[in-house]
Amino acid sequence: MSKAQRDRAAARKIVEQQKAAAKRRKVTMWTSVAVVAVLVIAGLIGFTVYANQSKTTASKAVTPSVAVDNGTAFAVGTGPVTVDLYEDFMCPICHQFELDSGATIKQLVADKKVTVRYHMVAILDDRSQGTKYSTRAAGAAAEAAQEGKFQEYFDVLYANQPEENSTGLSDAKLIDLGKSVGLGDTFAKAVNDKTYDAWVATVTDTFSARGFTGTPTIVVNGKQVVGPNNTLATHDQLAKAVEAAEG
Amino acid sequence: METRQLSARMTAAWPWISTVARLGLAAVFLTAGLLKVDNLAASGRAVNAYRLFSYDTAKVIGALQPFLEIALGILLLIGLAVRLSAAIAAVLLVLFIAGIVSAWARGLQIDCGCFSKGGDLAAGRTAEYGREVLRDAGFLILAGILLVKPRTRFSLDGLLMGER
Repeated sequence: MSKAQRDRAAARKIVEQQKAAAKRRKVTMWTSVAVVAVLVIAGLIGFTVYANQSKTTASKAVTPSVAVDNGTAFAVGTGPVTVDLYEDFMCPICHQFELDSGATIKQLVADKKVTVRYHMVAILDDRSQGTKYSTRAAGAAAEAAQEGKFQEYFDVLYANQPEENSTGLSDAKLIDLGKSVGLGDTFAKAVNDKTYDAWVATVTDTFSARGFTGTPTIVVNGKQVVGPNNTLATHDQLAKAVEAAEG
Repeated sequence: METRQLSARMTAAWPWISTVARLGLAAVFLTAGLLKVDNLAASGRAVNAYRLFSYDTAKVIGALQPFLEIALGILLLIGLAVRLSAAIAAVLLVLFIAGIVSAWARGLQIDCGCFSKGGDLAAGRTAEYGREVLRDAGFLILAGILLVKPRTRFSLDGLLMGER
């Protein structure tokens, strides 16, 4: 190979390397643009889905006429102290709370010391194998409230609470339990039509907007009641909180 | 002589190590996103449980997050702009770790909501912040490998660059 030939070969190699480098830069640039585009599109899809879901919930929600507190709770009792209870029908700790404090609460109601506002939220919908038991149970309880049987139905649902992460009680079972406390065909229809199910989402939303994140949340005259070290308040602690609120 | 052989072997091995890291990280993000995407309201509540944002902001973050995680998982799976994808994954992981550490520091009792809808822990259950942080740090190492050695096998990047 002459020197000229060697030079030409070397020059060709440099050009090829530059071309390859240019190609790599181009590919890197366009793939980066593609990555950013995909993420932006994913974000837009997410936002659209979210906005649509919020709109559907808002338009489908039927607020029970008997509900208080901006249509998010059912009141039991007529006492001066307000006790707000945020509970989920699937939540085992709520059941525990009802076992421990249920009688105390009923006594306070009977003594006309408190007005209890039950906010039945659905934060455990994904713990019933896709059947959304929390929502279905709260929706059924709303119809029970419409027919003046909230407390009775509430009690019978907790007494028959399904295991967490089971399929929950079926709609038929929810209707049967309704019958056991004197609820009839209107109730059955509301359960089957899921009349109040969309509304349950707005109750849950209000609960979250108030900064609460777990159930049961117990609030006496606007002040949250918890036991020491963030444990569940006992019936004694609840009674003391009510006493303190009476002033 | 031996060190040169070893380094040659490492040069050959890196694309495979990076491929494993890439696919592993893809699986992490896809799983995390898919577990949350079916219930955006719950995802919003999980973000809200950190008590770092107003509820309205938390709802939007919670709604966008699963979609971004899935998109990032797909990008890593097909291997598009791996270095950039890994950098974004690393930024997200650092944010997640920061969130968990801040919840930890404030003594909140929450589930991180990393691979679930999270939220407050029921009374009697304790938060597992240490384990959650370690796990995310592990994922961060995967992202780090890809940042340093973004060349992987079976990637769209390789195909577009004309590699075999």
